[in-house]
Amino acid sequence: MLSVALTKRLPGFTLDVHWDAPDMVTGLFGPSGSGKTLTLDCLAGLVRPDAGRIVIGDRVLFDAAAGIDVVSRARRLGYVFQGYALFPHLTVADNVAYGLRELPRVERRRRAAEVLARLGLSGLAQRRPAELSGGERQRVALGRALAPEPALLLLDEPFSALDLPLRRALRDDLVGVLREWGTAAVVVTHDFTEAYRLADRIVVYDGGRVVQSAPRSELLWQPASESVARIMGIPNLLQGTVIKATPDRIQLRWRGQTLEAVNSPTRSYLPPPGAPLAFFVRPEYVRLVRKDRMVADLGHHMNLMRGQVVNDEDFGTTWTLRIRLDEPGPPAQGAWDLEVEVPHLVYEILEIERDRHWEFSIHRGSIHVLPA
Amino acid sequence: MDLFPLWLSLQVSIVATAITLVLGVPVAWAFGRRRFPGRDLLAALVITPLVLPPTVLGYYLLVLVGTRGPIGRVLDAVGIELAFTWRGAVLAACVASIPLLIRAAQAGFEAVDPRLEAAARTLGRSEWSVFWSITLPLAWRAVMAGAVLAFCRAFGDFGITLMVAGSIPGRTQTLPLAIYDHVQANQMPEANTLALLAAGLVVVLLLGLGRFVRLRY
Amino acid sequence: MWVVKTALVCVVLLGVALASPAPGAAPPTLTVFAAADLAFAFRELVPRFEQAAGVKVIVVLGSTGNLAKQVEHGAPADVFFAANQTFIDELLAKGVLIEETRTLYAQGRIVLATARVAGPKLTALSQLLEPRVRRVAIANPAHAPYGRAAEEALRASGVWDAVKPKLVYGENIRHALQFVESGAAEAGIVALSVANVPAIEWVAIDAALHARLDQAVAVVRRSARPELGVAFIQFVNGPEGRAVMKRYGFLLPGEV
Repeated sequence: MLSVALTKRLPGFTLDVHWDAPDMVTGLFGPSGSGKTLTLDCLAGLVRPDAGRIVIGDRVLFDAAAGIDVVSRARRLGYVFQGYALFPHLTVADNVAYGLRELPRVERRRRAAEVLARLGLSGLAQRRPAELSGGERQRVALGRALAPEPALLLLDEPFSALDLPLRRALRDDLVGVLREWGTAAVVVTHDFTEAYRLADRIVVYDGGRVVQSAPRSELLWQPASESVARIMGIPNLLQGTVIKATPDRIQLRWRGQTLEAVNSPTRSYLPPPGAPLAFFVRPEYVRLVRKDRMVADLGHHMNLMRGQVVNDEDFGTTWTLRIRLDEPGPPAQGAWDLEVEVPHLVYEILEIERDRHWEFSIHRGSIHVLPA
Repeated sequence: MDLFPLWLSLQVSIVATAITLVLGVPVAWAFGRRRFPGRDLLAALVITPLVLPPTVLGYYLLVLVGTRGPIGRVLDAVGIELAFTWRGAVLAACVASIPLLIRAAQAGFEAVDPRLEAAARTLGRSEWSVFWSITLPLAWRAVMAGAVLAFCRAFGDFGITLMVAGSIPGRTQTLPLAIYDHVQANQMPEANTLALLAAGLVVVLLLGLGRFVRLRY
Repeated sequence: MWVVKTALVCVVLLGVALASPAPGAAPPTLTVFAAADLAFAFRELVPRFEQAAGVKVIVVLGSTGNLAKQVEHGAPADVFFAANQTFIDELLAKGVLIEETRTLYAQGRIVLATARVAGPKLTALSQLLEPRVRRVAIANPAHAPYGRAAEEALRASGVWDAVKPKLVYGENIRHALQFVESGAAEAGIVALSVANVPAIEWVAIDAALHARLDQAVAVVRRSARPELGVAFIQFVNGPEGRAVMKRYGFLLPGEV
């Protein structure tokens, strides 16, 4: 579908990326300043790369070696800019119709009206952008980019200008719009949840380079390295020491505990004993052991540990607990060792508010080792 | 009382402002939205006519377009009279007012968000179309402000016009030159009348214009 | 919609610009470029000539220096009356004027002028030193012959250094006279020819104190009808013309 290879040298920054996207929606994810917007600008023809090749479907938009550089207006891409870049002196209807110049007047009006209707903007056709709310502006920007029926849609931080509840609602809207219109898209975001929700495939950027390009679930469960995990903001990113490594299992030492984890999917990661090892545990996969049951069944409860809840936070539908192990020595993450997420119901039933001492277990499959 | 200077000045300043706009807006755009070697130097040079004493400036112009000047000789050969005609007054007015227009319009062009132009490009518009549909409308206020300044400056020019067009009554004596002439001849009532007429006319013109061509956005 | 409005405005403006009386559409005339000091004299003389010769005359007044530059660069003057013959001679050297038509039309005289009503009563240049005379107006010596003569007279009287700080320069003598009339300057040294107005009192300044202000005139070579220019010069120097000129202080050498 989309094949991108770009090199661009700027003072103080070099972009050098290469990725392919066979999927409908590709997310470019990474910290600010890592070159994501620059990539979109190169795709749109607003910035000329020093070298590389851009192919969409069977159309070559840019090929430095062959001297091909299709001018921006001929690329037939839709671009939703960060901040939307709506034309302040035109009405909503004129904004949306802006890219439809080549159509005859009647056709142009009809198409613009259709786009407005599909996005729920019909009542706002004669307003100016300054009179619209953030969500409305975002939809106008979308409509303007989609009206000319582009081959590919580019979105730069489409939700960063909005507040949280609106963000969630519009995110779902966008997913629907993209699916309904059937337009392929490249979405830039620095929020992993957003990338996960919108994109089928995620390309992780860091410092102008691609550090991982994978379908979204693979990225979620198997970040390629500790630095990728850090970029993703994965909680419980921990450091241990290898005790023994086999293709199936890795035994490691962490905070006085002996933990057993499954090896990475490649089954080829075999660090020597004593080597440092990074791993992470997803907070929702730490299981608290109910006290009305008898002593833990070790087959059921692997990697059993004991600790105290030192901090908890209410997130509405879930509670996030911070647990400090009953081990001497400084905790792994500041004032606590592990972050644990429990549904509201569990919190109430187990009366965690009152009872702070707990045993908990982690299934060996929920301890994800990160190759160095 | 002879009102010829009033009509002459109106004529000259309208034509001069039109020429100034046609020449000055593209230059202002280039200064404001394009980077090229020597741009800052050129932009600074544009301001110099404001700094020179008008009669001196007028003299330099006269040397160029008078019968002995390089440009003047060419024009003479083709049969076009420039110096000492109303066209000379238009030239003087243009030279006086172009720096004002360029600086005002340039600021307006500079303030246009480049991403709006980028958006317009991605939506399939040519550079020309981007200019007319996005850049110019957004800089419109500044361009208009510059045009008003240019018109007023053209209307009121004295020193440059005096040298290049001369103060020939009934031919090139514009309103400012006529007022000055009356004052020098101690004909204060005539001078005052003309001065009042000038001020009144310009105010009415600008108010009317402002109302009619309402600033969009 | 706004396109229509703007277009309409442009059409109206252009209409005004193009429909007004075309400047310079007047029938061929005699254009006389004259130094500022001839203002009053010519105001009386010119209509008489127009009647006598049946020709329309346009008089353009200004400072001799500016006018000379304009004539040099193609100004549509038929005849040029300069306040100082050196300007005429320079233009002759450049071939701009017709040699044979060069004539003296006056010898300039300067006077000490004060405002009749509110000004101080002065009779001698030395009185310019008095504290009640705070500003003295003259034409700019750099390019106005009468200004130069004023400077020469002040120097010859030995008061130049003391009076210089009080000097105010006018573009030409009409301008300088204005300073005196309006009270901006308590006194001024101007040409006799412009000082003969009701609002001004004047006292003659000894002609020996400055170089002779020989004022000359010549016909411009580019003139379409040089004979008209010659006719005008002859009129000015003829019996009718000389009577008027004398009244305004323009005397030829030897005249009384």
